[in-house]
Amino acid sequence: MGTIYLIASLGEVYAERSGVLNLGLEGMMIMGAAISFIFTIAYGHLVAILMAALIGVLMSLILAVMAIHLRLNQVIVGLALTLLGLGLSGLITFPDIRRRILSSLNPSLPESMLMIQQAEKLPEIPIPLLSQIPLIGKTFFTHNILVYTSLILAIIMWFILFKTRYGLIIRSVGENPSMADSLGVNVFLVRYVTVVISGLFASLAGAYFFIGFHPFWREGVTAGRGFISLALVILATWNPLRAILGAYLFGGVETFQYRLQLFGLGAQSPYFLAMLPYIITIITLILISIESIRKRIGVPASLGTPYSREEA
Amino acid sequence: MIKYRLRPNVVVKIERRLHYPRKLSVLSTILSILIAFGVAGAALTILGADALIAYSQIIAVFITPSLLIETIKYAIPIGFAALGLNIAFRMNFWNIGAEGQIYLGMFASTGIVLLHVYYGMFPEYFVLPMMIVTSFIAGGAWCALPSFLKAKMKVNEILTTLMMNYIAIYFVDYLIYGPWRDPKGFGFPLSIPFPEYAKLTLIFGESTYLGSILFIAMATLVYCILKYTKLGFELKIVGESLDTARYAGTNLTKVITLGGFLSGGFAGLGGLTIVSGIIGRLRPRASAGYGYTAIIVTLLSTLNPWLIIPTSIFFGGLFVAGNTLQVTLNIPGATIEMLQALIFLFILFGELFKRYKITILTGGGKPEP
Repeated sequence: MGTIYLIASLGEVYAERSGVLNLGLEGMMIMGAAISFIFTIAYGHLVAILMAALIGVLMSLILAVMAIHLRLNQVIVGLALTLLGLGLSGLITFPDIRRRILSSLNPSLPESMLMIQQAEKLPEIPIPLLSQIPLIGKTFFTHNILVYTSLILAIIMWFILFKTRYGLIIRSVGENPSMADSLGVNVFLVRYVTVVISGLFASLAGAYFFIGFHPFWREGVTAGRGFISLALVILATWNPLRAILGAYLFGGVETFQYRLQLFGLGAQSPYFLAMLPYIITIITLILISIESIRKRIGVPASLGTPYSREEA
Repeated sequence: MIKYRLRPNVVVKIERRLHYPRKLSVLSTILSILIAFGVAGAALTILGADALIAYSQIIAVFITPSLLIETIKYAIPIGFAALGLNIAFRMNFWNIGAEGQIYLGMFASTGIVLLHVYYGMFPEYFVLPMMIVTSFIAGGAWCALPSFLKAKMKVNEILTTLMMNYIAIYFVDYLIYGPWRDPKGFGFPLSIPFPEYAKLTLIFGESTYLGSILFIAMATLVYCILKYTKLGFELKIVGESLDTARYAGTNLTKVITLGGFLSGGFAGLGGLTIVSGIIGRLRPRASAGYGYTAIIVTLLSTLNPWLIIPTSIFFGGLFVAGNTLQVTLNIPGATIEMLQALIFLFILFGELFKRYKITILTGGGKPEP
């Protein structure tokens, strides 16, 4: 469960580290889910994941052009993209429209496949030997491929961000773009790349959510999980490794909520549990605004402000 | 000024406009809406839905009197939220939380009704005024918290207001699935229906009229606050430059918190008009994203309280059209969401032409007519 938050927030960490707030996360996520739904039925999982990645890149390019080059307000553009994603993905809820898309994508599909609301789930791959460990083996080592990939990616992305030159460039662009520019860093290029990474990861997270976890389509299927990922980025204080912990914490809270309902325990508690990620995030936001903590973590200082040479 | 040389003799020159003519801004807004309709229509046609029917339905909403009254009914909560955002955006406070503040307004006004019905508090004629006051305070408090945090500790208001939306929504969910559920409601997650004297239909029979009067009164109030009071002036200075405001001796914490309170308060009033104007009771997810639509409305109306009226009627009409499309014509209601998003994006693009002057120079550098 936590994996969806992990994947989405990994990309967002990069975008925010370079100073761009991508509020289109939710829209990109749900488009990833919608595209993976359609393409899994038409061509299978591999194509679905590739196409989901493509849609994320396309949507984040819109954000990049509008927010970085044209210097429009990032928040507003991001919200517009979220709305666009919700609207476009809502269209395929209608069977007629879905049938038309599917039959034009792959005319050889049988009639029965055109109407289904459900896609095939990704197979789970048990890790040999480790999954044989009694008790914990099944919980920890039997997952689909995206779960394993996301963990490895988190470590790689942490390494790049904090231990290599590229990471230093990204962080310096987020910290002080005009300084970075005067040192010869191409601020615009760096931000383009990070925004595209965040879009790519967001829609992959949507694809994972849909074909790896919950393969039944309904309108608004991601239900605000993009915004939870946004919260996670803050909780993880812009660090991919801490994002792993935070992701499984949020995922755990959500699973716990379902369990409680199953056992009929505390009919009221699910709503308060559902609030928890947001409350934790607000507390984190307040904590990191304290100057000494802020300095230690290195909150990207130029987050949300567009950069232009003329005006700097 | 930036110059791009496309071919040796063609140069595109982009320069910043210091002032832009009002005609141009109206033109670009209308053009953006038309382009959005065009793109959405093309998308619908490709997907096999009949765009013409959808559009004629949207037009019908604005020319049929009964539907127009319905439209204005939906426009009122959007308008109230936009009125609040107008104040917030003016002081450069990016309040994304109108949705949550609307929910707090709904919570407060339903709370008053329940206190009256269950415990017999307040006389009947006092209920509606109490609802108006408490919903304003509840919504205002919900926004005053992030604005106080921003003023005092520089906590990013975009993120806090966004997160607080979800807290508000789950809080109302909890109440309505739990203690506030109607005991005679067959287990449906609904509050008790509001008594007549707690509804905006009290006078004139249709909630549109009383709601409109309330709205125009509040819009006048906002206009006067912004134009003639010290607070309005201070809000503007804070929005333009925090440093200037500080040098001028403004009490930043006070001004920003108060501005936030007013901003959330009007969104809270919007919540009141939903429960006691449109639905007549509280139900979960009672606001269909009006708080987000209000952001588009505010930006479209270029921070002018009067322009909010036509703009929110336009978007209210889109909501009404969306409902009828889905029910009667089997065209997805999500079309409306897509349309909203496209209008939003194209208007943002249009903003660019307002801000920059683009000229194409050919040959010897003579500007083209």
